[in-house]
Amino acid sequence: MIPNPLALIAEVTHRCPLHCVYCSNPLQLAGTESELSTEQWTSIFQQSGKLGMLHAHFTGGEPLARQDLTELMAAARAAGLYTNLITSGIGLGEQRLAALVAAGLDHIQVSFQDSREDSANWIAGTKAHAHKIELSSVIRRHKVAFTVNLVVHRQNLDHLEEMIAFIEQLNPDRVEIAHTQYYGWALANRAALMPTRAQVEAAVRIVEAAEKRLAGRVRIDSVVPDYYAKYPKACMGGWGRRLMLINPTGKVLPCHAAEVIPGMMFENVREKTLECIWRESASFNRFRGEEWMPEPCRSCDRRAEDFGGCRCQAFLLAADATVTDPACSLAPTHGMVEAAIREANSDAGVASPKTASSFVQLQRETSRLWDYRTNPE
Amino acid sequence: MAPPLDSSQPRLAAGCRWGGSDADRVILFPEGAIKLQGTGRQVLERCDGQRTFGEIIAELQKQFSDADPQKIRADITMFLEQLQKKRIVDY
Repeated sequence: MIPNPLALIAEVTHRCPLHCVYCSNPLQLAGTESELSTEQWTSIFQQSGKLGMLHAHFTGGEPLARQDLTELMAAARAAGLYTNLITSGIGLGEQRLAALVAAGLDHIQVSFQDSREDSANWIAGTKAHAHKIELSSVIRRHKVAFTVNLVVHRQNLDHLEEMIAFIEQLNPDRVEIAHTQYYGWALANRAALMPTRAQVEAAVRIVEAAEKRLAGRVRIDSVVPDYYAKYPKACMGGWGRRLMLINPTGKVLPCHAAEVIPGMMFENVREKTLECIWRESASFNRFRGEEWMPEPCRSCDRRAEDFGGCRCQAFLLAADATVTDPACSLAPTHGMVEAAIREANSDAGVASPKTASSFVQLQRETSRLWDYRTNPE
Repeated sequence: MAPPLDSSQPRLAAGCRWGGSDADRVILFPEGAIKLQGTGRQVLERCDGQRTFGEIIAELQKQFSDADPQKIRADITMFLEQLQKKRIVDY
């Protein structure tokens, strides 16, 4: 018996005004023409509620790029789902926020790239930082829970304490400190983003201290950098165990990156019901359970905890989605992760630009450091 | 953080609300949910921002009159303190 999925990740568009260098979207982005309609999303939310799902996470791209977002929010809430808007905040002002809250928005998560304006704009590839600060005070005037998400990496980790102090002033209910995960654009830019071991160890201490200091006031959740961990992450809580992601065109995926795995066919909500796809599709069943597992996972005590790690990472690093996640220290392919770590910690590692530089200077100085996320046609 | 005072009025924290079906009630929060059964559910259903902590304890001591009232008080206090730390309850 396959248990019901718990949450829906609704990737409602790939359009985005930001160009973050660590974006988790695929390199092949879906264009506006191919996006699902309001009616199709409404049907998806109804099906999700009936399937027993509890949460709808609206993400993108930038969900606000859809003119019908308020309608979609109302549809998700009417289907009994807890609604979460994951956003850059660009395109959101007092009026639209009020409409979203009235439509049933439970929680809003705004991402910040840095505490320092020039650096934040440099990472996002656009001037967005000042608006986000302004928006934070607007959010606090409305009855909606507020999380600030901060993505950390080589270029900003050295002032993590300053970034946490900055976030505290925004007065969120919750903070998410997420080390970059290397998929999509982040993998393409990995050399510029991968932290040193010293940075990672310092970050652990700083986050622990902040958790202690803010206990009972602000909840801190952190995403650890799996390249530096001993065991892999339980990606998405296991393939086809908890989550369904629907991309802008209606393809149903077990995670953000699954489309990179060659030879897999993903079903579309335009053709089949969510329940049918969840229970019966070859794609969702492909890495369910333990049958597919190779050694050392198959006989490992941790196989029910991490499910062999991430299938996409296995493909992206080891060119084989069926092997143990190379991030695992027990994986036969772990050498490739060790090599990336060695490189990140070597003297020849990527240098950071001078922090005093302006946004424009930073972009000029670092034109060969990374590629910015583009926009779909 | 301090335990709740008898006069405080416990309530669900921002971003937390009830969901699920009547048989399977859960507290929903931004990145997850907790299923509540038995006494945990009975305590949280009383955390409505109206009742005081003292009233909640008195109600449950009355309902479970077989159990040691001091133990009931200690258990509920600990339960709410834990949920407060997780930002699920405020008081």
